[in-house]
Amino acid sequence: MRLWRAVLLLNLALGLGLLMGFLAWGRPLGEARREVAELRGQAVTPGVERVFRARGVVRAIVPEINVIVLSHEDIAGFMPPMTMGFRAQDPKLYDGVKVGDVLAFTLRGVPPNVVITELRKEGTL
Amino acid sequence: MLSLARAAGLVALVTAVGLLALNAAYVAGRSGAALDPAAWGRVLGATQFGAVWLLRTGVLLLLTALLWAREREDSTADWAALRGESWLLAAVGAGALAWAGHAAAVEADGGAALGADLLHLVAAGVWLGALGPLHLLLRAASRPEGADARPYAVLAARRFSRIALLAMLGLVATGLWNAWEQLGDIPSLLGTRYGWLLLLKVALLVPILALAAVNRSRLVPALPGDAETVGRPAMARLARFVAAEWTLALAILAVVAVLGATPPGKHEAPWWPLNFRLSWDAVAAIPGVRTRVLIGGQIVVVGVLGLIVAVLLARARALAALAGVALVTIGLWVALPPLSVDAYPTTYRRTTVPYQASSIAHGEALYRSHCVLCHGPAGWGDGPAGGGLPKKPADLTAPHTAQHTAGDMYWWLTHGIPASGMPAFSAVLGEDDRWDLINYIRGLASGEQGRMLSATIEPNRPRIGAPDAAFAVGPAPSRTLKDFRGVKTVLLVLYSLPGSASRMATLARAYETLQALGTEVIAVPLDRGGSPIAGLGGNPPVYYPVVTEGAEEIAQAYGLFRRNLSPEGMKPDPSMPAHMEFLIDRAGYLRARWITGEPGASWAEIPALMAEIQALNRETPAAPPAEHVH
Repeated sequence: MRLWRAVLLLNLALGLGLLMGFLAWGRPLGEARREVAELRGQAVTPGVERVFRARGVVRAIVPEINVIVLSHEDIAGFMPPMTMGFRAQDPKLYDGVKVGDVLAFTLRGVPPNVVITELRKEGTL
Repeated sequence: MLSLARAAGLVALVTAVGLLALNAAYVAGRSGAALDPAAWGRVLGATQFGAVWLLRTGVLLLLTALLWAREREDSTADWAALRGESWLLAAVGAGALAWAGHAAAVEADGGAALGADLLHLVAAGVWLGALGPLHLLLRAASRPEGADARPYAVLAARRFSRIALLAMLGLVATGLWNAWEQLGDIPSLLGTRYGWLLLLKVALLVPILALAAVNRSRLVPALPGDAETVGRPAMARLARFVAAEWTLALAILAVVAVLGATPPGKHEAPWWPLNFRLSWDAVAAIPGVRTRVLIGGQIVVVGVLGLIVAVLLARARALAALAGVALVTIGLWVALPPLSVDAYPTTYRRTTVPYQASSIAHGEALYRSHCVLCHGPAGWGDGPAGGGLPKKPADLTAPHTAQHTAGDMYWWLTHGIPASGMPAFSAVLGEDDRWDLINYIRGLASGEQGRMLSATIEPNRPRIGAPDAAFAVGPAPSRTLKDFRGVKTVLLVLYSLPGSASRMATLARAYETLQALGTEVIAVPLDRGGSPIAGLGGNPPVYYPVVTEGAEEIAQAYGLFRRNLSPEGMKPDPSMPAHMEFLIDRAGYLRARWITGEPGASWAEIPALMAEIQALNRETPAAPPAEHVH
């Protein structure tokens, strides 16, 4: 057998091995990363009713439009911590709630249309 | 020659197995794991080192098999294929190491660092791999019975001379680049174990380069000379020199092995070995320094020109060289002494505690109990106990503090200044405590500098770095002022009720407008206790963050900036104003301050405040303030 043919074959095999290795592991890895990124982007599955629980401090109550503004912690799978208004399912829920109260609250609904269905006062800041 | 390569292949494989065993033991954290197949599996399957090892060992196996296979070389194609393939496999085997080294861990510029490492490894392999066989060939050919081999030896020496020059240039260039990547600055070079090892490497390289220069300029050209009188003695000498180069190169490899197991310099606190350092920034403000440095620099330039002339000139070379060296020496002697500043082993230690409100507040408490007696409540060096000391205590707020690094202060706090009466605090204060104190002193000096702050910004003149601070609003996770860098300007409002109530209501009404200008309002209650959010009430609704956690520390840290030019503010320990507002720009500098009731410009009317914010918005962004003082 001629040596240079053997060497050529060897290099072909090496190249083929690298290519197959890339196809077998490199590409699926890239795809998996992309999928994870996509899933993170749309953690909320549309059209399904969800329940979220979190804590927040009351910044304002606007009964005329049935809104209670909360500075809340991270609502896992829904939104990062921020100050924003939520509607209550029943205006009676926030009877007796004052600005500065710390609330543990429950949101229910099809995101992004959720309402406060339960709340419990934990203290005042 | 072939048997040598075969043996080298086997050695490489055996050491590769040994390396895997060591790494398995290291990863598992126990020596028994070195022989444990399960540990080997984990290293191979789950680490980057494992992947690189698999690739490398596979390539080396192929290479060794290729070298041991006794195939006949029937044609030129065979000959070229065998050598080309060997070279390729060896280069891959050597270069693959780049992926297992420190360069692979460099985050920014990872590709460039990897490339440099790859080139470095391959060039080192080419140079080092050729040295040994070249020595054997030259030695054999320089013997009387080796006359047949002489033409080949001459040819090989010439070819090696060319290739080695290229390899060495590549090695030095990539080596310098890598060193800079892994060190980052001069203190890391002179003050860390990694830096010392690199210097040792360079020190070993210098004689190699000297030998190589002699070989290239004198011995290689002499090889084809008359066999008995010139050629053979030159060859024998060249053989010895190459052997010496090879020995030194092996010593370098040993240093590299240690380097590989040493954390890169930029990850370590440098231990400065000299009692001085050269710094332009520290002394630039001292009168006369600029002129002297400028004159010295000019003399050095003339001297360097003299040296260049000496290289180019054929006649009077010695004279020009002498004059050049003399001028460079004189120039350095003129320019460097004014630049030198006292230094201590910890001069370049980087602070381990960020310049943050909580650290400053803790530092203040320590200052009140340990330092205030001599250095005084404002750090002016006017404390009641300071008078009896051999030397007046330092004014910690004076501009000369710019000459000292945080590391200098760390040294004085740790070891004291015996001649002046400053005691050592290493037994009393922990490391973090000392850094807290240094942060507080930085705050004190900044507060002194902040006297000239007013409600009007100085456009494009950021001077005072705003201390960072962590704060939380109710159950929301805590944030820091730094989070707003590059994003928003911050209006930090230190208020107390009921005096500030109407101002806070005005800000609540203006919040939407201020936000539209890219400003976040952060309200920090000065009163302890009480309910800050409930206290501000709901009419008008307050939507800006009201700090419920971290307010005390922020009040303490930013209270350092209460000093102004009013009679009250000039006192050593002025009383805390009931309401202060600070404007912090996007780069993180304190740009303007309004203390209610102070004369001059006021932010009582929101449009006045908006005008300042708009002036900040028009500025070109500055670089963020330094993390530590210099």
